[in-house]
Amino acid sequence: MLGAGTMGSGIAITVARAGHEVIMRDVSEERVQGGLDSVRRFLGKSVERGKLSEERRDRAVEGLSGVTELEALESCDVVIEAIFEDEGLKAETFGKLDGVCGPETLFHTNTSTLSVTGIASGSEHPERVVGTHYCNPAPLMDLVEVARGRLTSDEAHEKTLEFVEGLGKKAVLTKDTPGFIVNYFLIPFENDCIRLLETGMGTVESIDKAVTLGLGYPMGTFTLLDIVGLDIHKAVATALYERLRDPRFAPPPLVDDMISAGHLGRKSGKGFYEYEAAGMMGT
Amino acid sequence: MSEKQKVAVLGFGAMGSGIAQVCAQAGHEVVVLDTSNEQVEAGRERIEDFLNEGVRREKTTEEDRDATLSRVRGTTEVGELAGVGVVIEAAVEDLAVKKELLSAVAEAVGEGAILATNTSALSVTELAASVPNPSRFAGLHFFNPAPLMPLVEVVAAEQSADETLDTLEAFAEGIGKQPVRTKDRPGFLVNRLLMPYLNQVARAYDEGLASAADMDAALRLGLGYPMGGLELLDLVGLDVHVHATSAAYEQTREPSLAPPPILGRMVHAGYLGRKTGKGFYEYGKEGS
Repeated sequence: MLGAGTMGSGIAITVARAGHEVIMRDVSEERVQGGLDSVRRFLGKSVERGKLSEERRDRAVEGLSGVTELEALESCDVVIEAIFEDEGLKAETFGKLDGVCGPETLFHTNTSTLSVTGIASGSEHPERVVGTHYCNPAPLMDLVEVARGRLTSDEAHEKTLEFVEGLGKKAVLTKDTPGFIVNYFLIPFENDCIRLLETGMGTVESIDKAVTLGLGYPMGTFTLLDIVGLDIHKAVATALYERLRDPRFAPPPLVDDMISAGHLGRKSGKGFYEYEAAGMMGT
Repeated sequence: MSEKQKVAVLGFGAMGSGIAQVCAQAGHEVVVLDTSNEQVEAGRERIEDFLNEGVRREKTTEEDRDATLSRVRGTTEVGELAGVGVVIEAAVEDLAVKKELLSAVAEAVGEGAILATNTSALSVTELAASVPNPSRFAGLHFFNPAPLMPLVEVVAAEQSADETLDTLEAFAEGIGKQPVRTKDRPGFLVNRLLMPYLNQVARAYDEGLASAADMDAALRLGLGYPMGGLELLDLVGLDVHVHATSAAYEQTREPSLAPPPILGRMVHAGYLGRKTGKGFYEYGKEGS
């Protein structure tokens, strides 16, 4: 597992819980330890809540380790990357792993906005690169979007589906297009909500009510955006807009204003709503 | 508006009967106007069926059902609407029909009555212009089925007085709904968000993004939506959606409101969704 951040830890939990040995890799000892602690903590809580047997937890923890050197990943059958969302960096990392892992090793990318084909081009064996986009939080969300790149082999694709389904996830097949399915629909919808606010069609509260009570969605859009963070929304929307050139994907001007004002959402104590104390919800 | 008023509902169709039921359940005397005795009977039966189902599921008591039904009266005579305090128009989504009806009813109910339209796709401002003293006119947009959906959009026409909007908001709260106020723009809030999304889903399917089942699964599991976009289109009816989104596109020229070609083709082919047994999915029996 490349990347010990939120997604990396979440995917590591999912994979370890399914009985696989997991090596977590990040660029610093500190980050690696943070990831390992996060995984162990979650598994412990799962046992407390009766969601996971002690036996399975013990097995998962035993098979869990952390490293900073890529060379330590030599024996991996699957490498999943959830590192910084930059195509060049991801491609380069896969390229480096060409010299560490065998050509049969599957390289999975958790990218949400980039091209699987583009990432795969960094490897001398692009046929083993597959997009596997998990949802946050990965241990709780069943969906994984599986996107084969232009050069992905049938074999790698099949094995990937087996692997993902073996984790207890629901795999959906999508084309290697910007945003795949989930973000492709979510981002413009969120932007539409922001535009309704900008044009005085409603207030933050009334638009969120339209979404939850009128459309039956689990959370109001502004509630969700405050959780995600306005800066993250801008980055994701911009990345998709740059590839699609569809105006609905462009983050509306209000987003920039809010970022300029420091109203990033929960993490800064204020976004569309105000929060008593700055900080993320616990995961 | 704390004391219960006499309410008139115009149109005893699916929405009209639902709205009449909601008002009656909240204690209002309701008179429902339609064009024929058959329509009146059919509308009343709809309410009865809905309430009986409620009794069966133990959501409603037999007493409440009987009390509600006793407060609803159907008629084909406009004259019977005299003395009504609130009129809610829920006739067919046809501008000419609504205008003529509202004009006739406005005369019967007098200047003091609040007039509201349940239109979802037409201009509330244009409808307001068909009655004298249009400051007492606004949109009051319910969702289907009215007895179950908590949201109501209170729509401000250009002519609507603040007092009218305040009164309608209070009225909506009094019948157990949660009102949100919005401007008179195509789609108001809910449909304005829903229509571009449904257009995008249909277009993406046509372009081969994913299978229908996978696309809808992704929306349900990834976003927690109660149903996927293609399932929803089948439920709403492709023709109904195309009609609404086309009207909104005509008025705004907003590209995201233009229906993608696949929808027109499917409507031509008769694949309207659940009601014809086939849309993006196939259904065992027609309408199931």
